Amino acid sequence: MTRYAELQAASNFSFLRGASHPWELVMTAQALGLEAVGICDRNSLAGVVRAWSEMNKQREGGARIRALTGCRLDFADGTPSLLCYPTDREAYGRLTRLLSAGQLRAEKGECELFWEDYLQWSEGQLTLAVAPDRLDEAFETRLGRMAGALGGDLWLAAARGYGARDLQRLSRLAAIAQRAGAPMVATNDVLYHGPERRLLQDVLTCIREGCAIPDAGLRLEANAERHLKTPEEMARLFHRFPGAVERSVEIAERIGFDLSQLKYEYPDEPVPPGKSAMQHLRDLTWAGAAWRYPDGVRDKERKTLEHELALIEKLDFPNYFLTVHDIVRWARDQEILCQGRGSAANSCVCFCLGITSVDPTKKDQDLLFSRFISENRGEPPDIDVDFEHERREEVMQYVYRRYGRHKAAIVATVIHYRPRMAIRQVGQALGLTEDVTAALSGTVWGSWGDGVPDEHIRQTGIDPTNPEIRRAVTLATELLGFPRHLSQHVGGYVLTKRRLDETVPIGNAAMADRTFIEWDKDDIDALGLMKVDILALGMLTALKRAFEMVPPRPDGRRLKDIADIPQEVPGVYDMLCKADSVGVFQVESRAQMSMLPRLKPRKFYDLVIEVAIVRPGPIQGDMVHPYLKRRDGTEPVSYPSPAPPWPADELRAILEKTMGVPLFQEQAMRIAIEGAEFTPDQADGLRRAMATFRNYGHLEDYEELFVSGMTRKGYDLGFAQACFNQIKGFGSYGFPESHAISFALLVYASAWVKWRWPDAFCAALLNSQPMGFYQPAQLVRDAREHGVEVRPPDVAASGWDCGLEPVEGKRLRAVRLGLGQIKGLKREDAELLVRLREEGVLTVEDLARHLPRRALELLAEADAFAGIGLDRRQALWAVKGLVGETRVETEAPLLAAMGRREAQVELPQMSLPLQVTEDYRTTRLSLKAHPCSFFRAELEALACVPAAAFRTLRDGRRTSVGGLVLVRQRPGTAKGVVFMTLEDETGVANIVVWRDVFEAHRRLVMSASVLAVHGQLQREGEVIHLVAKSFTDLSHLTAGLKAEAPGAPTRTGRAGRLQASRDFH
Amino acid sequence: MDAVAHGLGLRVGQKATDAMALVPELVPAEAEPEADAQALSALVDWCVRFSPAVAADPPDGLMLDIAGVSHLWGGEAELMADFRARLAANGLPFRLALADTPGAAWALAHYGVDGVIAPLGGQGELIAPLPPAALRLEPETAAQIARLGLTRIGQLMELPRAPLAKRFGAQTLERLDQALGRGREALTFRRPPSPWIARLAFAEPISTPDDMARVSQDVAVRLCARLEREGKGARRFEIAFHRLDGKALTLAIGLSLAGRDPARIAKLFQPRLETLDPGFGIEVVTLVADRVETTTARQVRLDSLADAAVEDGLAPLVDRLINRLGEGRVWKSGPRESHVPEQSAVSGPPLKAVAPRAWDPERPRPLRLFRRPEPVDSVMAPVPDDPPVQFRWRNRLIRVRRAEGPERIAEEWWTGPIEAAASSHVRDYYRVEDEAGTRFWLFRAGLYETGVPARWWLHGLFG
Repeated sequence: MTRYAELQAASNFSFLRGASHPWELVMTAQALGLEAVGICDRNSLAGVVRAWSEMNKQREGGARIRALTGCRLDFADGTPSLLCYPTDREAYGRLTRLLSAGQLRAEKGECELFWEDYLQWSEGQLTLAVAPDRLDEAFETRLGRMAGALGGDLWLAAARGYGARDLQRLSRLAAIAQRAGAPMVATNDVLYHGPERRLLQDVLTCIREGCAIPDAGLRLEANAERHLKTPEEMARLFHRFPGAVERSVEIAERIGFDLSQLKYEYPDEPVPPGKSAMQHLRDLTWAGAAWRYPDGVRDKERKTLEHELALIEKLDFPNYFLTVHDIVRWARDQEILCQGRGSAANSCVCFCLGITSVDPTKKDQDLLFSRFISENRGEPPDIDVDFEHERREEVMQYVYRRYGRHKAAIVATVIHYRPRMAIRQVGQALGLTEDVTAALSGTVWGSWGDGVPDEHIRQTGIDPTNPEIRRAVTLATELLGFPRHLSQHVGGYVLTKRRLDETVPIGNAAMADRTFIEWDKDDIDALGLMKVDILALGMLTALKRAFEMVPPRPDGRRLKDIADIPQEVPGVYDMLCKADSVGVFQVESRAQMSMLPRLKPRKFYDLVIEVAIVRPGPIQGDMVHPYLKRRDGTEPVSYPSPAPPWPADELRAILEKTMGVPLFQEQAMRIAIEGAEFTPDQADGLRRAMATFRNYGHLEDYEELFVSGMTRKGYDLGFAQACFNQIKGFGSYGFPESHAISFALLVYASAWVKWRWPDAFCAALLNSQPMGFYQPAQLVRDAREHGVEVRPPDVAASGWDCGLEPVEGKRLRAVRLGLGQIKGLKREDAELLVRLREEGVLTVEDLARHLPRRALELLAEADAFAGIGLDRRQALWAVKGLVGETRVETEAPLLAAMGRREAQVELPQMSLPLQVTEDYRTTRLSLKAHPCSFFRAELEALACVPAAAFRTLRDGRRTSVGGLVLVRQRPGTAKGVVFMTLEDETGVANIVVWRDVFEAHRRLVMSASVLAVHGQLQREGEVIHLVAKSFTDLSHLTAGLKAEAPGAPTRTGRAGRLQASRDFH
Repeated sequence: MDAVAHGLGLRVGQKATDAMALVPELVPAEAEPEADAQALSALVDWCVRFSPAVAADPPDGLMLDIAGVSHLWGGEAELMADFRARLAANGLPFRLALADTPGAAWALAHYGVDGVIAPLGGQGELIAPLPPAALRLEPETAAQIARLGLTRIGQLMELPRAPLAKRFGAQTLERLDQALGRGREALTFRRPPSPWIARLAFAEPISTPDDMARVSQDVAVRLCARLEREGKGARRFEIAFHRLDGKALTLAIGLSLAGRDPARIAKLFQPRLETLDPGFGIEVVTLVADRVETTTARQVRLDSLADAAVEDGLAPLVDRLINRLGEGRVWKSGPRESHVPEQSAVSGPPLKAVAPRAWDPERPRPLRLFRRPEPVDSVMAPVPDDPPVQFRWRNRLIRVRRAEGPERIAEEWWTGPIEAAASSHVRDYYRVEDEAGTRFWLFRAGLYETGVPARWWLHGLFG
């Protein structure tokens, strides 16, 4: 029997060249009966882990295919391209160092290599030279010299591509190979796993070359032969060259390296000399316990800690915890607020180490660490740490300083082809005109599963049955999910003990001074390397700012950490139950707000559920309503049971916390293990598939296994199906309990600040913009509704940030809006103004001497001189005149003396509506009045009631409301439903627009800035929506506000916008 | 932005994606400022029929100085009516205004009532109610003036001049003065380029072909002298003989290279002069040059003597052939990059330089490629894809002595429906030689399939 190993296969990580995923190559190689397939991407190892993972998967099924780790090296100095296969771990380290060196000296995505580099790192490598298109003596001489330099481990790779003179060429190559001492070995120079990929490969070539396919000419391959071929076929093609095919197997058998040899070693920087890592961790943990439990460590806590430490020791993870602790401790020393989350974060050890602020030993929490960690047996624990978003960069720089750039780098994110990009580039490559490709890519709203539905294409006026369009759409769909390029991950770091560049190639990122490795988090995960996510979270910044503004307690202690916040305060929960949550972390969205009054959170764990329940997983699995009913007591709590002999309450332990309804990813996993009897490997595969559902879609493979596993044990088919649907939902938006807990803590912390100190809360949120769901206008409005006085930006009182000013006889202080709220004003100008003010400068004349004209005009236009007695127009007139004057003074003193005293000029009074319009234009909000108050008469004529009146109206009432459009949202999970938020002078109104109504009024709904909505009121407890039936566009009313005085002529035509709505398509 | 677009909720400055979400059937197009500028400049040239003094006012306006020309139409109103009718006939959207000063006319056209004609000295009153932006101010200045509550030009006119200038610059005052006729404004008028035409009038009418040949050279000398002065040449010439009865007889010739040699041009007209009927005689001859391009006088350098000689010798021949056989009948084949043999040659202009890259020797192609492949039968070839050992072509049995191949060329899948594309749609080409040394290029259509008889074709002959 013929044996053959394909040693020259490019995957689609040879961007715009290879046209098959690594796993397709491995799977096909196995099916064709190859011994091995070597993935050789150009100067890159980005695809090898995926191939290796597929190999492991195949082998689990009994296959014996090998995926060899190799690389095609292209040189900058004219050296023929080489295929390099490391024989062992050390040689592999040399290859990655070679690639790192080449990448670090080149631009992002490039690699610059020279022959000398290869010589330096060639020990232990098996090398195949790729014959150039044109064979000449120079090549022969070079090959001979290379064979000499490499000490014999050199072969000449030859392919039969069905060119006119193949056999002649191969004979010549064989002769050259023999003379040079580099035996010829057969390869097929593979670009795709099967010949049907030629079409896509041609398109990739066109994208790469930037040409349209009719003009691509000889840049395309002549035929579809560059696919994986059977050993028999390879033997037939090379039958005149005995040994060429057999040699491929000989080479493959000499390759002893496998990625599983990348034994991970944790960095030991945080361990002091003379101490074992475990001992150090113990010491730190007990010291932390004394800090966390000032009243003494009780038995329960001691037991938990001892149990966790034993587990950490057993699994040999102390360095991991020490590393995370080291980073967190440094951040705390710098007073950077941070919080850990992830499976391992909810441990008592992490609580004591200060990584999280959740005490898992507390009543109701029931967050047993061992449960989290045992689910991911054999894998490193996973902790993500969120930091204040404005200070994360400092943390990142610390990591580089502490571990060195040779041991720490950011992981990659593989940027995949998404629908818009795919259709645009494929369309261009196929020679479609730009308007057609633009129209086609315009049909994509959000995600795009199996292609573009024909009716979407038809809507754009394009005929979907047209062959050119079909071609483009078919190939673009095939291109979806192909990697396009590598980019750096937002904050995932990989840290090692030995040089990182001996494990994975490191390259330059687009950002200066940033480097990242070639593998993404799935690859890291598959190999079991250690990763710490250093992420940025805006809410931490806001909380930190709020803490600084909260007055110290009577004992003089200041609020410094989330853990200092008083726990389980009933008032906080009262507030949340009323859906009074504007600005609160996570639960401020429309969907969350309508869930709060239904869920009625009364304790911390309720918040954990609140955070997790408004997610695609529970929604798709239809778990929300059963849970709410059980909470309300309208449905009995029951646990689905298997038939005997299985224990009837096996799911009870898993589902008790959530009243028998699975809500968390961990629960779904445990149902798979215990309910559907998944083996640990199957469970692990399911978990991976869940995490990468978007890219692969392997998840369906497990559906049958899961559902049949459960029904076999006598579970109800409907329940099994619902559980799996939920797993699918998790796949598209994974949300595990461990993350929900950490988020819930921030929910509670931010809600507490809002409840106790709404003044500080408002100022802190305003100073942390942009973040969250609401614009400054809504945050200010909410604060005022909570009794906080808000004062306008003022040159005499404001700093750059919003601040608090004491109010006589009141606990809460007033929020003074900062100059930063003024659109266009530069921070440095505002800070200069503050300095001048502190020096005592406070006349417009003196300011004009120091501040740039533009800054003064912006201040005047924003009415910031009102505090010193100048209204908008007076201030602008004065400022413009003064700036002119100081300029004249410096430029021509004589003129200045002449024009000093100028005539008083009468400027028209600004009407209140115009003041409000100008406030919105300059600061996006107005404290003077709400625009809707000016057209209340018009609104009443349309039978609109004030938004606040909704609270008193019956369910089912037909009514109307009018206001500014704040938000338009069309969530992917909502089947074409559009949610709108309107605001009038009394409050906000939530509008639901069903799909058919939306389609009928699409233009209006999408474009109107002021709108009256007519429909039917729908109320469910405290949740009130207006279900829209029809609309009246009132956008023209804002133009009326700009009138100078009643009756004054205005320019007709275009209606203005007071503010842009936030639209989420 | 027209009324329909406005009605749909579209706005100037809107993001393309927002507009598409609003009106899904919208067909987006790239802005082409250069094309717009060209169109405007063409419109300026066209307006010269109304007044010699026309100035473009980019991006979308133009100014006509009609001082002293309106009487030709019978008055300003009549001129405007005619102008309006002609613009409308061209389907252009427009707004018109007429005033003493360009500034006032601009203000009225952009912000006033369409078609207003300001009475002599009456522009001040008409523009007073218009917004300050009508003074052609910088958008930012105009916005700030409005923010002070000054929403009408009239309010500006009442303000003391010095404070106004101090705040909004001398330019604002200047614009106000220009509109009111208190300040001067110089427009840059555009003059259309003089046409490439030469004209000769004769004291005595001529009628013999000899005379016509002589005058065609005379007129060519004149035109070519002008072309020479400006370093130009033309690729097309049209001569017109104007008869006494007012009829014009025209002939046109084309050149393969832009030229300005009067003798050569006259010579190309000569053979066809006899076909013209001079009637009672010809009093005027005109020659118009078309497709004028810049040429440099060719310098004959020693090292390029041979090339130059070929070109100089070949060009007249090619011109004569073209003028006799017709354009498009004389061409030269060149290489084209394509895997498909039928498409690897392209015909081009006969004197175009050969592409630097020639056909690839690694892909041997026959000297004679048949327009249509010819079927061959009785082919004996080992399966699946070894070269044939014999075949029958035109009733002749050919035994193959030597062979090379196959060269596998797959279909151009993008020319047919994607469902029909298949990796078996290939041609396997073989270069074979018979015992007499004749070399053939034949192919098998499609991949070998058990039980399916292979179809073979002869596509060309080498040597």
